[in-house]
Amino acid sequence: MATSGGTPDVPSWQRGRVAGWLVTVDHKRIGLLYIATAGVFFAISGFLALLIRTQLAQADQSIVTGTSYNESVTMHGTGMVFFVVVPILAGLGNFLVPLMIGARDMAFPRLNALSYWLYLFAGLVFCLSFFAKGGAANTGWTAYPPLSLQSPGNGQDLWILSLHILTLSSLAGVINFVVTIQHMRTAGMSWTRMPLFVWSIYVYAWLLLLVLPALSAGLTALLLERQFPGTFHFFEPSGGGSPVLYQHVFWFFGHPEVYVMILPAMGIVSEILPVFSRKPIFGYKAIAFSSVAIGFFSLLVWAHHMFTVGLSTPLNIWFMLVSMVIAVPTGMKVFNWLATLWRGNLSFDTPMLFAVAFLSVFVFGGLTGIYLAAFPVDWQLHDTYFVVGHFHYVLFGGAVFAILGGLVYWWPKLYGRLLDERITKPAFWLTFVGFNLTFFPQHLAGMLGMPRRIFTYYDTGLLQAYNLASTIGSFTMGVGMLVFLAAIVKSLNGRRAGNDPWLADTLEWYTTSPPPPHNFDSVPYVTSARPLHDLRRTLKDSGAL
Amino acid sequence: MTPLVRSKLLATVAAALAALAFAVPALAGNGGFAPVPPASPNAEGITQSYWFITAFILGIFVLVEALLIVFLIRFRRRRRHRHADGAQIHGSSRLETMWTIGPVLILFAIAVFVFAKLPGIKDVPAASAGQPNLVVKVTGRQYYWQFEYPNGVIAIDELRAPVGGVVQLDVTAPPFDVIHSWWIPALGGKIDAIPGRLNHTWFKADRAGVFSGQCAELCGLNHARMLARVEAMPQATFDAWLAERQAQQEAGTSPLGREAYDGVCAKCHGLAGEGNVAVNAPQLQGSSLVSDAAGIERLLRNGQNLMPAVGRDWSDTQMRAMTDYLKERFASGN
Repeated sequence: MATSGGTPDVPSWQRGRVAGWLVTVDHKRIGLLYIATAGVFFAISGFLALLIRTQLAQADQSIVTGTSYNESVTMHGTGMVFFVVVPILAGLGNFLVPLMIGARDMAFPRLNALSYWLYLFAGLVFCLSFFAKGGAANTGWTAYPPLSLQSPGNGQDLWILSLHILTLSSLAGVINFVVTIQHMRTAGMSWTRMPLFVWSIYVYAWLLLLVLPALSAGLTALLLERQFPGTFHFFEPSGGGSPVLYQHVFWFFGHPEVYVMILPAMGIVSEILPVFSRKPIFGYKAIAFSSVAIGFFSLLVWAHHMFTVGLSTPLNIWFMLVSMVIAVPTGMKVFNWLATLWRGNLSFDTPMLFAVAFLSVFVFGGLTGIYLAAFPVDWQLHDTYFVVGHFHYVLFGGAVFAILGGLVYWWPKLYGRLLDERITKPAFWLTFVGFNLTFFPQHLAGMLGMPRRIFTYYDTGLLQAYNLASTIGSFTMGVGMLVFLAAIVKSLNGRRAGNDPWLADTLEWYTTSPPPPHNFDSVPYVTSARPLHDLRRTLKDSGAL
Repeated sequence: MTPLVRSKLLATVAAALAALAFAVPALAGNGGFAPVPPASPNAEGITQSYWFITAFILGIFVLVEALLIVFLIRFRRRRRHRHADGAQIHGSSRLETMWTIGPVLILFAIAVFVFAKLPGIKDVPAASAGQPNLVVKVTGRQYYWQFEYPNGVIAIDELRAPVGGVVQLDVTAPPFDVIHSWWIPALGGKIDAIPGRLNHTWFKADRAGVFSGQCAELCGLNHARMLARVEAMPQATFDAWLAERQAQQEAGTSPLGREAYDGVCAKCHGLAGEGNVAVNAPQLQGSSLVSDAAGIERLLRNGQNLMPAVGRDWSDTQMRAMTDYLKERFASGN
């Protein structure tokens, strides 16, 4: 790879502190913009979650109205899925993928910038929904018709519009990832020497590429039918449409979307565990290929979200069996991660704490999924708080824990300074304890008969006790997140990190922290999945180290 | 093993067994650790499947968490240098094959058990000559349940059924309404009430009592108040009730008006007509509209602002029951 000496030719109007960020096409800056913007949406969506928990703390409360509650639920869910988890992974991917594969930038830097600015624009339209006539969208993140067709005002339309824009942003972004990963790996980095996080982003990108068009189609139909109700009848049964059709289209997108959120999280954990165990990952190929297998099977299971719709029994059986098949590659990952710890030299820095916490709670979230895959059992559990508990174990305990761990792990590379362990560790424990206190009781509330998305309930016994515990837990997590934020603020003048503070094995640690605009002056020839480990050994053998 | 160690060990095992002996009934009595205690064969089949799956899941969960904790303690750094290498093990095809095949076998066992239970959960038991199945049409509407019996009797929110009799439910929603989901946990799983689609489920209450449940699919601002009850009563009592209710309905003296008020109106306007139970729902107590039968009918058939068209497809009998009740209840101002 050519090294670039001297200062790049930048026009003067682009050199200002703000202007530099506005016109940047540097993948690292775009990655940071993604992460910061997603952080803001995390705060908004998290605030809505606390509002929800406050309303449900006690039976028969009226802190918010039924409509406001439905708006909170809808905007919380949509915000977390579309504007927090997926984009923050895009941000980490943006920053890290070129560094991890020894490339100078993404394949299409300008397309990369476009995809970020479209994301921000989509986010602003999404927020406008709060100020729309008739209030924000209030039909759940799934927006099932006919409810979403009848929802008054423009909140639902702005919601649709924002997701349309976001879809364009994501498509541009994932094409960039696919091309970058396929064509820009440095010399020697074959597919089986690629870091596991890059593998997971590769599958993430393909999944989005395959399923986002379905979401766009469904949303377009919904928008047309809302705007021209006499002309279009895709979903409205009185005009000959089918509300179930929308569910098929939505979940064809929606289920792979879950793996879009969890696979890169698994990738992050697969990077962290070996470094803090001082071992190679156990079964590299099994972990890489299980990501591909999970991605493939996730395209075939969508109707397990529709077991109560009244599909035919053969269809239900198909979707149950394929959903169960996903448990096999997932279980393989779990056992491989465990085996990675075996006979290691384990250090419990904050990234490792988050990775181990991920492992311990993700197992629970994965196992409770088996109840939901067995469709007769799902007939009891579907659309209850059991499901809410289950998917928060996967998406908060899974995805968000891994992302937080990843942020602590890569913060020195992102920003050049370490986060203070004395702050991130309390943040971790508050989050971990609060998380379990919030979401474990929700499984029990669901089995007592509490459906999801209800703005109040009337049982003052055990159900209220579980809900109160859940509310206390959610505020504990909220405090944990504030402490985490404090660590980030404090790192502004924190301890400087060297190139490789964790003595890690992948290429991003070969360059400076933060890396220069051109990333690398030189990239070593990659001889395995652990190029820096090889390099250290070579240096040691030659007596230089 | 010294006697002391042995007695300690025995005490530990005994304590564990005692704890287990207490835990099992505590779990069976459930507290949310299993679905609501079943009162119908289909719910029973689901609960059995739940426990079968739980046996495996609990085993795997304990195994993974125990290994995790043991590894974290056993292989922690202690006095080693933080950069000292752990064992450089890259994998083991034999182990990986084992933990691929193991889950496959477990999932296979779960699938076989669930499929064996499926007919008992899904299939409506055939009607016997002596006792035909009772077929009730259930429609979910914003925000109440309407039940129609074969003899034309209409009831709101509370379904009455004979103990030991098979009740077959035809579940749907009117074409102008939204999706709801019928769910009485003790009497089986849920089934969606979808406009333009007819779904079927059933139950056979094995004891008398009131079983409650509620709509399980977000259906709008009052979704949380869309409650449902099933009251199971002896066959003779049920038959008498159904016949009496039919006679009353034909004579215009049935409690349908009150039931409809409580189920359809009160969830927003209040049981005493005080208004504002849901935001901006006007007070009915003392309102001039309540004695205007035509005005009320227009309102119920078309809806207004946030109020759905709750009575768009009501029969004249049903509409009259409603308007009569409103007039009688509120026009005098009490």
